[in-house]
Amino acid sequence: MVTRSRPISSEFLFLKTITLFVFWVLFSASFEWVHLGLGLIFSFAVAWLNSGHSPFVPRFRLWLRIFLYIPWLFYEIIRSSLHLSKLILHPALPIDPHLISVESKLHHHAAVVLLGNSITLTPGTITAEVDRNNLIVHAIDKVSGADIVSKQIELKIADIFKDEKPDL
Amino acid sequence: MNILAIIFMSAGLFFLVVAAIGVVRLPDVFSRSHAVSLTDSLGAFLMLIGVAFHEGLDTNTLKILVVLVLLYILNPVIAHATIRAALRSGLKPWKKENL
Amino acid sequence: MTTFFFFVLMSLGILIGVYLYRVLKGPTIFDRVLGLNGISTKAIISLIVIGVYFDRVDMFIDISTGYALINLVGALAVAKYLEEKGLP
Repeated sequence: MVTRSRPISSEFLFLKTITLFVFWVLFSASFEWVHLGLGLIFSFAVAWLNSGHSPFVPRFRLWLRIFLYIPWLFYEIIRSSLHLSKLILHPALPIDPHLISVESKLHHHAAVVLLGNSITLTPGTITAEVDRNNLIVHAIDKVSGADIVSKQIELKIADIFKDEKPDL
Repeated sequence: MNILAIIFMSAGLFFLVVAAIGVVRLPDVFSRSHAVSLTDSLGAFLMLIGVAFHEGLDTNTLKILVVLVLLYILNPVIAHATIRAALRSGLKPWKKENL
Repeated sequence: MTTFFFFVLMSLGILIGVYLYRVLKGPTIFDRVLGLNGISTKAIISLIVIGVYFDRVDMFIDISTGYALINLVGALAVAKYLEEKGLP
Protein backbone atom coordinates (compact mmCIF):
# COMPACT_ATOMS: atom_id res chain seq x y z
CA MET A 1 0.00 0.00 0.00
CA VAL A 2 1.09 3.57 -0.59
CA THR A 3 2.58 5.35 2.39
CA ARG A 4 2.01 9.09 2.45
CA SER A 5 4.09 11.83 3.98
CA ARG A 6 1.24 14.35 3.74
CA PRO A 7 -2.53 14.09 3.88
CA ILE A 8 -4.39 14.33 0.56
CA SER A 9 -5.57 17.83 -0.21
CA SER A 10 -8.74 17.73 -2.29
CA GLU A 11 -7.91 20.98 -4.05
CA PHE A 12 -4.59 19.58 -5.25
CA LEU A 13 -6.27 16.34 -6.35
CA PHE A 14 -8.93 18.19 -8.33
CA LEU A 15 -6.49 20.54 -10.09
CA LYS A 16 -4.10 17.74 -11.00
CA THR A 17 -6.89 15.54 -12.36
CA ILE A 18 -8.16 18.40 -14.51
CA THR A 19 -4.66 19.16 -15.84
CA LEU A 20 -3.93 15.54 -16.72
CA PHE A 21 -7.35 15.17 -18.34
CA VAL A 22 -6.80 18.24 -20.54
CA PHE A 23 -3.51 16.76 -21.70
CA TRP A 24 -5.22 13.42 -22.38
CA VAL A 25 -7.85 15.07 -24.57
CA LEU A 26 -5.20 17.09 -26.36
CA PHE A 27 -3.06 14.09 -27.21
CA SER A 28 -5.74 11.53 -28.04
CA ALA A 29 -7.83 14.08 -30.01
CA SER A 30 -10.86 11.77 -30.07
CA PHE A 31 -14.18 12.56 -28.37
CA GLU A 32 -15.76 9.10 -28.02
CA TRP A 33 -17.31 8.28 -24.66
CA VAL A 34 -15.10 5.26 -24.04
CA HIS A 35 -11.91 7.28 -24.54
CA LEU A 36 -13.07 10.20 -22.41
CA GLY A 37 -14.14 7.88 -19.57
CA LEU A 38 -10.86 5.96 -19.64
CA GLY A 39 -8.96 9.25 -19.60
CA LEU A 40 -10.89 10.49 -16.59
CA ILE A 41 -10.28 7.25 -14.67
CA PHE A 42 -6.58 7.14 -15.46
CA SER A 43 -5.94 10.81 -14.71
CA PHE A 44 -7.71 10.48 -11.37
CA ALA A 45 -5.64 7.38 -10.54
CA VAL A 46 -2.34 9.07 -11.41
CA ALA A 47 -3.27 12.22 -9.46
CA TRP A 48 -4.25 10.12 -6.43
CA LEU A 49 -0.99 8.16 -6.51
CA ASN A 50 1.05 11.37 -6.77
CA SER A 51 -0.81 13.53 -4.32
CA GLY A 52 1.61 12.97 -1.43
CA HIS A 53 4.57 14.73 -2.99
CA SER A 54 3.91 18.37 -3.73
CA PRO A 55 2.15 20.73 -1.34
CA PHE A 56 2.29 23.68 -3.73
CA VAL A 57 -1.05 24.67 -5.27
CA PRO A 58 -0.67 27.90 -7.23
CA ARG A 59 -3.63 30.21 -7.02
CA PHE A 60 -5.27 31.85 -10.00
CA ARG A 61 -3.78 35.29 -9.20
CA LEU A 62 -0.29 33.81 -9.29
CA TRP A 63 -0.90 32.18 -12.68
CA LEU A 64 -2.08 35.52 -14.03
CA ARG A 65 1.07 37.26 -12.82
CA ILE A 66 3.30 34.54 -14.30
CA PHE A 67 1.51 34.90 -17.65
CA LEU A 68 2.14 38.64 -17.52
CA TYR A 69 5.79 37.96 -16.71
CA ILE A 70 6.37 35.75 -19.79
CA PRO A 71 6.31 38.53 -22.48
CA TRP A 72 8.91 40.54 -20.56
CA LEU A 73 11.10 37.41 -20.27
CA PHE A 74 10.71 36.85 -23.99
CA TYR A 75 11.87 40.39 -24.75
CA GLU A 76 14.94 39.75 -22.59
CA ILE A 77 15.60 36.47 -24.44
CA ILE A 78 15.54 38.18 -27.84
CA ARG A 79 17.78 41.03 -26.65
CA SER A 80 20.44 38.78 -25.19
CA SER A 81 20.23 36.32 -28.12
CA LEU A 82 21.16 39.11 -30.51
CA HIS A 83 24.01 40.12 -28.20
CA LEU A 84 25.31 36.53 -28.02
CA SER A 85 25.03 36.09 -31.81
CA LYS A 86 27.12 39.22 -32.26
CA LEU A 87 29.74 37.81 -29.86
CA ILE A 88 29.92 34.46 -31.65
CA LEU A 89 30.12 35.92 -35.15
CA HIS A 90 32.77 38.51 -34.16
CA PRO A 91 36.11 37.47 -35.72
CA ALA A 92 38.13 38.16 -32.55
CA LEU A 93 35.74 36.24 -30.22
CA PRO A 94 35.68 38.92 -27.44
CA ILE A 95 34.32 36.72 -24.63
CA ASP A 96 35.21 36.96 -20.95
CA PRO A 97 33.63 34.04 -19.03
CA HIS A 98 33.35 34.38 -15.28
CA LEU A 99 31.39 32.95 -12.36
CA ILE A 100 29.07 35.21 -10.34
CA SER A 101 27.75 34.31 -6.90
CA VAL A 102 24.26 35.71 -6.30
CA GLU A 103 22.40 35.71 -3.03
CA SER A 104 18.71 36.20 -3.72
CA LYS A 105 16.12 37.42 -1.24
CA LEU A 106 13.38 35.06 -2.42
CA HIS A 107 11.69 32.96 0.27
CA HIS A 108 9.78 30.50 -1.85
CA HIS A 109 10.74 27.22 -3.51
CA ALA A 110 8.79 27.94 -6.68
CA ALA A 111 10.27 31.44 -6.89
CA VAL A 112 13.82 30.08 -6.80
CA VAL A 113 12.91 27.50 -9.47
CA LEU A 114 11.44 30.25 -11.66
CA LEU A 115 14.51 32.44 -11.16
CA GLY A 116 16.93 29.63 -12.07
CA ASN A 117 14.93 28.66 -15.13
CA SER A 118 14.72 32.26 -16.32
CA ILE A 119 18.46 32.76 -15.91
CA THR A 120 19.25 29.56 -17.80
CA LEU A 121 16.74 30.31 -20.55
CA THR A 122 18.30 33.71 -21.21
CA PRO A 123 21.27 33.08 -23.53
CA GLY A 124 24.56 34.30 -22.11
CA THR A 125 23.92 33.30 -18.52
CA ILE A 126 23.47 29.82 -17.04
CA THR A 127 22.77 28.62 -13.49
CA ALA A 128 25.55 26.32 -12.36
CA GLU A 129 24.68 25.62 -8.74
CA VAL A 130 21.70 26.21 -6.46
CA ASP A 131 21.83 25.98 -2.68
CA ARG A 132 18.65 27.28 -1.02
CA ASN A 133 18.83 30.99 -1.85
CA ASN A 134 22.34 31.19 -3.23
CA LEU A 135 22.92 30.77 -6.93
CA ILE A 136 26.22 30.48 -8.79
CA VAL A 137 25.82 31.84 -12.30
CA HIS A 138 28.19 31.45 -15.23
CA ALA A 139 28.11 34.48 -17.53
CA ILE A 140 29.84 34.71 -20.88
CA ASP A 141 30.85 38.37 -20.72
CA LYS A 142 30.46 41.55 -18.69
CA VAL A 143 27.32 42.73 -20.46
CA SER A 144 25.44 39.47 -19.79
CA GLY A 145 26.71 39.43 -16.23
CA ALA A 146 25.46 42.96 -15.61
CA ASP A 147 21.85 41.78 -15.96
CA ILE A 148 22.39 39.31 -13.11
CA VAL A 149 24.30 41.72 -10.87
CA SER A 150 21.62 44.41 -11.27
CA LYS A 151 19.02 41.84 -10.02
CA GLN A 152 16.45 42.85 -12.64
CA ILE A 153 14.90 39.38 -13.00
CA GLU A 154 14.92 38.79 -9.24
CA LEU A 155 12.96 41.98 -8.53
CA LYS A 156 10.33 40.98 -11.09
CA ILE A 157 9.96 37.52 -9.51
CA ALA A 158 9.83 38.95 -5.98
CA ASP A 159 7.01 41.14 -7.23
CA ILE A 160 5.14 38.08 -8.53
CA PHE A 161 5.47 36.18 -5.24
CA LYS A 162 4.92 39.08 -2.84
CA ASP A 163 1.56 37.82 -1.52
CA GLU A 164 2.50 34.16 -0.97
CA LYS A 165 3.37 32.55 2.33
CA PRO A 166 7.17 32.03 2.59
CA ASP A 167 8.24 28.37 2.86
CA LEU A 168 12.03 28.45 2.51
CA MET B 1 0.55 32.80 -44.34
CA ASN B 2 3.27 31.06 -46.34
CA ILE B 3 5.35 34.24 -46.48
CA LEU B 4 5.17 34.55 -42.66
CA ALA B 5 6.16 30.89 -42.31
CA ILE B 6 9.16 31.36 -44.59
CA ILE B 7 10.28 34.50 -42.70
CA PHE B 8 10.01 32.85 -39.27
CA MET B 9 11.74 29.64 -40.36
CA SER B 10 14.58 31.54 -42.02
CA ALA B 11 15.15 33.52 -38.81
CA GLY B 12 15.13 30.28 -36.81
CA LEU B 13 17.58 28.68 -39.22
CA PHE B 14 19.88 31.70 -38.82
CA PHE B 15 19.98 31.24 -35.05
CA LEU B 16 20.54 27.48 -35.41
CA VAL B 17 23.51 28.11 -37.73
CA VAL B 18 24.96 30.71 -35.32
CA ALA B 19 24.62 28.22 -32.46
CA ALA B 20 26.41 25.51 -34.46
CA ILE B 21 29.26 27.94 -35.24
CA GLY B 22 29.42 28.77 -31.54
CA VAL B 23 29.59 25.10 -30.55
CA VAL B 24 32.62 24.67 -32.80
CA ARG B 25 34.36 27.97 -31.99
CA LEU B 26 33.94 28.53 -28.25
CA PRO B 27 36.72 27.27 -25.94
CA ASP B 28 35.16 25.18 -23.14
CA VAL B 29 32.02 23.38 -21.88
CA PHE B 30 30.60 26.34 -19.99
CA SER B 31 30.76 28.70 -22.96
CA ARG B 32 29.51 26.06 -25.37
CA SER B 33 26.44 25.50 -23.22
CA HIS B 34 25.52 29.15 -23.87
CA ALA B 35 25.53 28.43 -27.60
CA VAL B 36 23.36 25.33 -27.12
CA SER B 37 20.90 27.35 -25.03
CA LEU B 38 20.71 29.87 -27.89
CA THR B 39 19.43 27.04 -30.09
CA ASP B 40 16.95 25.87 -27.51
CA SER B 41 15.46 29.22 -26.62
CA LEU B 42 15.15 31.12 -29.86
CA GLY B 43 16.03 28.80 -32.78
CA ALA B 44 13.52 26.07 -31.92
CA PHE B 45 10.88 28.67 -31.02
CA LEU B 46 11.08 30.49 -34.37
CA MET B 47 11.16 27.23 -36.37
CA LEU B 48 8.12 25.76 -34.64
CA ILE B 49 6.18 29.04 -34.86
CA GLY B 50 6.90 29.03 -38.60
CA VAL B 51 5.54 25.48 -38.91
CA ALA B 52 2.47 26.49 -36.89
CA PHE B 53 1.81 29.40 -39.27
CA HIS B 54 2.02 27.02 -42.22
CA GLU B 55 -0.39 24.56 -40.63
CA GLY B 56 -3.10 27.09 -39.77
CA LEU B 57 -5.41 26.77 -36.78
CA ASP B 58 -6.25 23.15 -35.86
CA THR B 59 -5.37 20.40 -33.37
CA ASN B 60 -1.90 19.91 -34.78
CA THR B 61 -1.00 23.54 -34.10
CA LEU B 62 -2.07 23.10 -30.48
CA LYS B 63 0.16 20.04 -30.22
CA ILE B 64 3.07 21.97 -31.72
CA LEU B 65 2.58 24.64 -29.04
CA VAL B 66 2.60 21.88 -26.38
CA VAL B 67 5.95 20.63 -27.73
CA LEU B 68 7.21 24.22 -27.60
CA VAL B 69 6.21 24.67 -23.94
CA LEU B 70 7.76 21.28 -23.17
CA LEU B 71 11.05 22.36 -24.79
CA TYR B 72 11.02 25.61 -22.82
CA ILE B 73 10.54 23.81 -19.51
CA LEU B 74 12.82 20.81 -20.09
CA ASN B 75 15.85 22.33 -21.84
CA PRO B 76 16.98 24.65 -18.99
CA VAL B 77 16.76 21.66 -16.66
CA ILE B 78 19.05 19.57 -18.91
CA ALA B 79 21.54 22.40 -19.39
CA HIS B 80 21.63 23.10 -15.65
CA ALA B 81 22.14 19.41 -14.81
CA THR B 82 25.04 19.05 -17.25
CA ILE B 83 26.74 22.25 -16.12
CA ARG B 84 26.32 21.39 -12.45
CA ALA B 85 27.86 17.97 -13.04
CA ALA B 86 30.79 19.63 -14.85
CA LEU B 87 31.34 22.13 -12.03
CA ARG B 88 31.05 19.54 -9.25
CA SER B 89 33.48 17.14 -10.88
CA GLY B 90 36.15 19.84 -10.64
CA LEU B 91 36.32 21.29 -14.16
CA LYS B 92 37.65 24.86 -14.09
CA PRO B 93 36.02 27.45 -16.37
CA TRP B 94 38.19 28.86 -19.14
CA LYS B 95 39.64 32.29 -18.32
CA LYS B 96 40.98 34.95 -20.63
CA GLU B 97 44.39 35.38 -18.97
CA ASN B 98 45.63 31.76 -18.98
CA LEU B 99 45.48 31.62 -22.76
CA MET C 1 6.94 25.70 -50.36
CA THR C 2 7.97 22.04 -50.64
CA THR C 3 11.35 23.15 -51.93
CA PHE C 4 11.81 25.42 -48.93
CA PHE C 5 10.99 22.60 -46.50
CA PHE C 6 13.46 20.35 -48.32
CA PHE C 7 16.10 23.08 -47.97
CA VAL C 8 15.36 23.36 -44.22
CA LEU C 9 15.69 19.59 -43.82
CA MET C 10 19.03 19.58 -45.65
CA SER C 11 20.35 22.42 -43.45
CA LEU C 12 19.24 20.58 -40.30
CA GLY C 13 21.13 17.50 -41.47
CA ILE C 14 24.29 19.53 -42.02
CA LEU C 15 23.91 21.14 -38.57
CA ILE C 16 23.58 17.70 -36.98
CA GLY C 17 26.87 16.85 -38.70
CA VAL C 18 28.51 19.91 -37.11
CA TYR C 19 27.30 18.86 -33.66
CA LEU C 20 28.53 15.31 -34.37
CA TYR C 21 32.01 16.78 -34.84
CA ARG C 22 31.80 18.14 -31.29
CA VAL C 23 30.55 14.79 -29.99
CA LEU C 24 33.41 12.88 -31.59
CA LYS C 25 36.15 15.43 -30.86
CA GLY C 26 35.14 16.93 -27.49
CA PRO C 27 38.01 17.05 -24.98
CA THR C 28 35.87 16.19 -21.92
CA ILE C 29 32.87 13.92 -21.59
CA PHE C 30 30.60 16.89 -20.82
CA ASP C 31 31.21 18.28 -24.30
CA ARG C 32 29.90 15.03 -25.72
CA VAL C 33 26.80 15.12 -23.53
CA LEU C 34 26.16 18.74 -24.56
CA GLY C 35 26.55 17.85 -28.24
CA LEU C 36 24.09 14.98 -27.88
CA ASN C 37 21.61 17.36 -26.23
CA GLY C 38 21.90 19.75 -29.17
CA ILE C 39 21.45 16.89 -31.64
CA SER C 40 18.27 15.74 -29.93
CA THR C 41 16.78 19.26 -30.02
CA LYS C 42 17.48 19.33 -33.75
CA ALA C 43 15.97 15.86 -34.13
CA ILE C 44 12.74 17.11 -32.51
CA ILE C 45 12.58 20.07 -34.92
CA SER C 46 13.38 17.97 -37.96
CA LEU C 47 10.77 15.34 -37.02
CA ILE C 48 8.10 18.05 -37.11
CA VAL C 49 9.42 19.44 -40.41
CA ILE C 50 9.43 15.92 -41.88
CA GLY C 51 5.82 15.59 -40.80
CA VAL C 52 4.91 18.80 -42.67
CA TYR C 53 6.90 17.67 -45.71
CA PHE C 54 5.01 14.36 -45.98
CA ASP C 55 1.63 15.82 -44.87
CA ARG C 56 1.47 13.56 -41.78
CA VAL C 57 1.96 16.07 -38.93
CA ASP C 58 -0.60 14.32 -36.71
CA MET C 59 1.59 11.21 -36.56
CA PHE C 60 5.04 12.79 -36.30
CA ILE C 61 4.09 15.34 -33.61
CA ASP C 62 3.36 12.55 -31.10
CA ILE C 63 6.70 10.92 -31.87
CA SER C 64 8.50 14.22 -31.27
CA THR C 65 6.71 14.73 -27.94
CA GLY C 66 7.81 11.30 -26.77
CA TYR C 67 11.32 12.01 -28.02
CA ALA C 68 11.50 15.21 -25.96
CA LEU C 69 10.45 13.39 -22.78
CA ILE C 70 12.86 10.47 -23.34
CA ASN C 71 15.62 13.00 -24.02
CA LEU C 72 14.98 14.62 -20.63
CA VAL C 73 15.17 11.33 -18.73
CA GLY C 74 18.30 10.18 -20.55
CA ALA C 75 20.17 13.46 -20.13
CA LEU C 76 19.29 13.69 -16.44
CA ALA C 77 20.45 10.10 -15.84
CA VAL C 78 23.79 10.72 -17.58
CA ALA C 79 24.32 14.01 -15.71
CA LYS C 80 23.53 12.38 -12.34
CA TYR C 81 25.89 9.47 -13.05
CA LEU C 82 28.75 11.78 -14.07
CA GLU C 83 28.17 13.94 -11.00
CA GLU C 84 28.62 10.90 -8.73
CA LYS C 85 31.58 9.52 -10.62
CA GLY C 86 33.58 12.67 -11.37
CA LEU C 87 35.95 13.20 -14.24
CA PRO C 88 37.15 9.92 -15.77
